[in-house]
Amino acid sequence: MERADKIGLGIASAAHVLLFAALSSSWVTPKKITLDTKPIEVSIADAVALQSMAPKLSPEPPPPTPGEVEGPPEQAAPAPAESVAQPEPQPAPPPPPAPTPRPKPVEQPAPKPTPKPVPKKPEPAKPKPAPKAPAKPDTKKPEPARTQAKAPAKPAATPSNAKTASTATAADKGQAARSSGSKLKLDTSDWMKSASRSTSPASKPSEGATAAALGPAQKSALDAEIRRQLKPHWKAPTGADVESLRTIVNVKLARDGSVVGAPEIVDTLGVTASNRTQVRLHQEQAVKAIRLAAPFNLPAQFYSSWQFLQLTFDKRLSQ
Amino acid sequence: MTVPIVDLSANAAATLSPYTLFMQADIVVKVVMAGLLLASIWTWAIIIGFGFSLSGIRRKCLKFEQEFWRTDDIDRFFENRGKENLPSARVLQAGITEWRRSTKQKVVDREGARDRISTALSSAVGGEVDLLSDRLNILATVGAVAPFVGLFGTVWGIMRSFTAIAAQQNSSLAVVAPGIAEALFATAIGLFAAIPAVIAYNRFSHAINKVESGLNRFADTFYATLSRELEHS
Repeated sequence: MERADKIGLGIASAAHVLLFAALSSSWVTPKKITLDTKPIEVSIADAVALQSMAPKLSPEPPPPTPGEVEGPPEQAAPAPAESVAQPEPQPAPPPPPAPTPRPKPVEQPAPKPTPKPVPKKPEPAKPKPAPKAPAKPDTKKPEPARTQAKAPAKPAATPSNAKTASTATAADKGQAARSSGSKLKLDTSDWMKSASRSTSPASKPSEGATAAALGPAQKSALDAEIRRQLKPHWKAPTGADVESLRTIVNVKLARDGSVVGAPEIVDTLGVTASNRTQVRLHQEQAVKAIRLAAPFNLPAQFYSSWQFLQLTFDKRLSQ
Repeated sequence: MTVPIVDLSANAAATLSPYTLFMQADIVVKVVMAGLLLASIWTWAIIIGFGFSLSGIRRKCLKFEQEFWRTDDIDRFFENRGKENLPSARVLQAGITEWRRSTKQKVVDREGARDRISTALSSAVGGEVDLLSDRLNILATVGAVAPFVGLFGTVWGIMRSFTAIAAQQNSSLAVVAPGIAEALFATAIGLFAAIPAVIAYNRFSHAINKVESGLNRFADTFYATLSRELEHS
């Protein structure tokens, strides 16, 4: 090898290394995509996003949980859960009869009415006393109400006569067993019905205030109810890859359940090359489903929770 | 239901950075790339080194020949500069050596001496040209073969990405693109090595032709001079 060859080899090697480094560094090549934050796993929650209850939930959860543990599902839970006798006390009326009650006939009617209202409308029962007695928002109320009620109820029952008490409890138990035995789904719908039925008279006085308390169970029940009402009207377009489409629509509802204005299409997710042509149809069908389902039958006392709905239309909804 | 999010940071490697492309590649493609890179370095070493030395040789030969024709005493000039490391000097050396051998005897066979001198000069020129064009061989090889080697790497890489498509049952661009990018990078390196090699081959063979014709001219003229001298002696 001659000197010129050695020089040439040195220069060539150095130039290649330089070129390689230059191309590898970012100023020649297009800018890399740099993510400031690491990608995170996203879990998609259930379709309907109700108004967030996060701050208000904290006082509320304790009551529902004991109820749920035992079996009777829901919302009104605190009362029916423990011993069905308690809710009766809630309405203040029973105590007054208690003191008077030496006469038997008086006693008997007292327990009787009590069990009935309990299972029937646990929900309204709570709000009702609220404005009356403490005049405070209902959240706080259940606890004192229960304890208060417990105290008077027991003395009343024990002295008066074991018979009435036992009959009452037996009846209550039957009720309780029934409600607890039933499936969650039935329960929710039951509650939905009762709630919507009962609220019409009850909620009117306390319209605004009552909506506040919406536990997770209520939320899911409400969610399920909305889905149930939408489902028969939702017809997804057919075609390749259409299953992956998810159209998100924002809706504003009036108090009577009708749609205010036009549903607003937020976005359609899951668009691929093969289903791109179906996106418009998917969105139109979603809006159509809302319009057809229009007067939604939802509990009025939770109006603030379903006033603004974000609905997701996808394959799951039609199943 | 959890949705796997495509890791964009991994896709960011799909930029044109040669290092990332090289590191992602299959072992076969890596070998191809490394071989082509070596070929490219070799090519450029020849282009730079041989380019310099060739132009230097041409310049010096021209100067040497001019000075040779200007001198009056060929023998003295040969004593001074005959040992230089130049094609012209070596051709001159071959001619003078043959001349001296042929004219050593008392009786000179003129025809035979002319033949021998002519043959010696032309073989010297041929030897010099062979020596010069030795490197061209490498340039020609790289220029002809590198694109094919790169193409082989590309075909292999694309085969691999098709296998990846089949394995993942997914023909999305995110699956296909990186493999094809790294595969095409092999062809890019092949062309990167081949293009300068072909250009240099053409230029150098042209330059060597010129050197050869220059040497031939010098040898012919020198032969004419010696032939004339033979008649006089």
